[in-house]
Amino acid sequence: MENGASTKWRFEGNKDYNYNSNTNTKTAATLTVRALLNTLLDNLNQNDTRPVIPLGHGDPSAFPCFRTTSVAVDAIVDAVRSAYYNSYSPTVGILPARRAIADYLNRHLPYKLSPDDVYLTLGCTQAIEVIVSVLARPGANILLPRPGFPYYEAHAKHSHLEVRHFDLLPEKGWEVDLDAVEALADENTLALVIINPGNPCGNVYSYQHLQKIAETARKLGIMVIADEVYAHVSFGNNPFVPMGVFGSIAPVFTLGSISKRWIVPGWRLGWIVTSDPNGIFQKLGIVDSIKDSLNISSDPATFIQGAVPQILENTKEDFFSKTLDILRETADICYDRIKEIPCITCPNKPDGSMFLMVKLKTSLLEDISDDMEFALKLSKEESVIVLPGIAVGMKNWLRVTFAIEPTALEDGLGRIKAFYNRHAKKQ
Amino acid sequence: MENIVKKWDSKVNSASDISVTARGTLSMLMQHLNEEDKRPVIKLSQGDPAAFPCFRTSHAAEEAVINALRSAKYNCYAPFVGIPPARRAVAEYLSRDLPYKLSPDDVYITSGGAQAMEIILSVLAGPGANILLPRPGFANYEARCAFSNLEVRHYDLLPEKGWEVDLDGVKALADENTIAIVIINPGNPCGNVFSYEHLKKIAKTAIELGLLVVADEVYGHLTFGCTPFVPMAVFGSSIPIITLGSISKRWSVTGWRLGWLVTCDPTGTLQKSRIVECINSSLKIISNPVTFIQGALPQILDLEKTNSDYFSISTSLLKEATEILCDKIKEIPSITCPTKPEGSVFAMVKLDFSQLEDIDDDMDFCVKLAKEESVIVLPGVIVGLKNWLRISFATDPKYLENGLERVKSFCKKHSKKHFY
Repeated sequence: MENGASTKWRFEGNKDYNYNSNTNTKTAATLTVRALLNTLLDNLNQNDTRPVIPLGHGDPSAFPCFRTTSVAVDAIVDAVRSAYYNSYSPTVGILPARRAIADYLNRHLPYKLSPDDVYLTLGCTQAIEVIVSVLARPGANILLPRPGFPYYEAHAKHSHLEVRHFDLLPEKGWEVDLDAVEALADENTLALVIINPGNPCGNVYSYQHLQKIAETARKLGIMVIADEVYAHVSFGNNPFVPMGVFGSIAPVFTLGSISKRWIVPGWRLGWIVTSDPNGIFQKLGIVDSIKDSLNISSDPATFIQGAVPQILENTKEDFFSKTLDILRETADICYDRIKEIPCITCPNKPDGSMFLMVKLKTSLLEDISDDMEFALKLSKEESVIVLPGIAVGMKNWLRVTFAIEPTALEDGLGRIKAFYNRHAKKQ
Repeated sequence: MENIVKKWDSKVNSASDISVTARGTLSMLMQHLNEEDKRPVIKLSQGDPAAFPCFRTSHAAEEAVINALRSAKYNCYAPFVGIPPARRAVAEYLSRDLPYKLSPDDVYITSGGAQAMEIILSVLAGPGANILLPRPGFANYEARCAFSNLEVRHYDLLPEKGWEVDLDGVKALADENTIAIVIINPGNPCGNVFSYEHLKKIAKTAIELGLLVVADEVYGHLTFGCTPFVPMAVFGSSIPIITLGSISKRWSVTGWRLGWLVTCDPTGTLQKSRIVECINSSLKIISNPVTFIQGALPQILDLEKTNSDYFSISTSLLKEATEILCDKIKEIPSITCPTKPEGSVFAMVKLDFSQLEDIDDDMDFCVKLAKEESVIVLPGVIVGLKNWLRISFATDPKYLENGLERVKSFCKKHSKKHFY
């Protein structure tokens, strides 16, 4: 058979994969946190023998002090050994898992969710994909927080869903600028996304503020998408309150997973939950759209679904409190050390999640003009990775994670201080 | 909340309006079951050997997953292309059957074959482009193409020729906007296994038409007839091949969600066309497969570690099932099986309505069969062949036999009287 080397391939030529959809996907891909972190990792100095300090992403699973509970591991081993969960699961997830998640969430909700309100997804990541694709339609828009989690923007771009940004106010503990929300919304606005506990800001919203958000949503006739992937990862004064509490004021989609609270982001087990006692989502057919989307997408591993009841019911409180103690400690370390570094300021000590935002004062630095340059040089010179705020919508800020082992954190912040000293403008 | 209601007009991008998947139809059929019928439901519908203890996966695979989990090394996020040991393991596993070596960089680990399909279709989709799909085929392709706005054209598989591809039909269908052709081998839903010669002809046709070949080989090596499985990638030096595969079927672990998309392209054509770049971009914005299952992949794919009996036991069970299927179908006048399946887990059988009474079509047959006999099979219309049925034989042999016995009595009850 002749070699196809001389063939004119239909998939080559002027088409060149510059279709809008592929261009959108490519742009979308560059917007993700991981893509930017890869760029920073590529910039590391290979000759630096010191360990890399990863203050850029929220994945403490590699650190022994953050290792997940043996209850969760044993639950999975049991599920695998049972050989009961090797087959396909139903589109929405297996009933015992859905029931367990409903029960787990119901502990903090005034009215009870049913298992039918729960849809299992391949991590909270897929929950975001599904929700965005279900909402995407010509002319519609959704409201996203700034700073935020760029995966929303990436998927909205991929699905051709317009986004509008409202600010979180650093001077008000990163609360939502509700006046801006009202100004932004129009008759095509479908939803508003809040992330609580906050990524990237580390804030935990009060009951009152969440109620105001719900009332604003009701006034505007929009739904609330509550990204609660960091649910219960709160160690400050404000207790975590699920947005579903306000489901009778405005219908809520809650997105969550076991990834953060159990420190197992690689297990890919998340959910979309509808808190909608007035049945609005059902009436609109949104529930059917979610099922349709899930029907043609891949599911979480069935045996991990099978382990969910044991994981949610049997994990001991002291695993959670131990993890929160470490995070409280590292949040303190991070906040205190940052105070010693003049070119960065943290307006609000974090109360939850695994991140805080710091403002960069480039006027105090000799040869660094913005956050991207800061992050690139820091990676090369000190083998420390932080996320430039441009990635989350705030140029000249940085997102720093404190969810790493305490001595590594001290080391990393020490290196940032040394970096500052080296680049400080001479007085 | 009236505002939300006003805004929510017709669903623009819902896949359900446009095409129906097997899963959706099977759920619908389940709703027709008669609650009074105390007999257990017999499902000859989904290609899921993992649902039956006789197909339980190898002990080595289970232990591999447990070891990877317990190592605590794989609780983290994985790189979007997959972890290096997994990519390397798949490259080595597939290269065993190829005249050239795949590199780990050619391998992208996905959440099952389903996600591999999702990615390649979204990469190929573009305004005006079209793709050639087999009929009968796997309905998820049509659903995903609809979702990605990729136009579909169907070429026929010819029942009178062992379900071979109608290559003349392919040539007539393709135009300057046709980007690729999907072949499913071993075949879902027909259970056929393409010969080397036929695959060569497909490759030749694809070269003539300038098409990419997407080879869906999720049933790779699941063969038990005379025709051996030949991966399409053997022709990779002449034509770039995108191979989709997974551990789901061969290892009976459909619920583990571990698959791959592999660019089999020793001449580097795909790299030049930027398809590779687009695949990478797509992977960056989707959710990845479980990290510790990726971690277990090297052990799972290490065929020396898998008890060598495991594969021969499962293929002989499947072979036994096909014998039962063909024998039983021969006893039913209104159903014929033109080609005995040689691979995968499905067979297509044809309904003869001249011998049936008060049944309108294949969908009606399946609805009534569910209601009267508590047996679930998929109507052929869902896979593109109306008035055929798709039957799964990836079941316990006795289970299959019981199910077909009930199908036989159903057909007898509905037969036009003068035939019995």
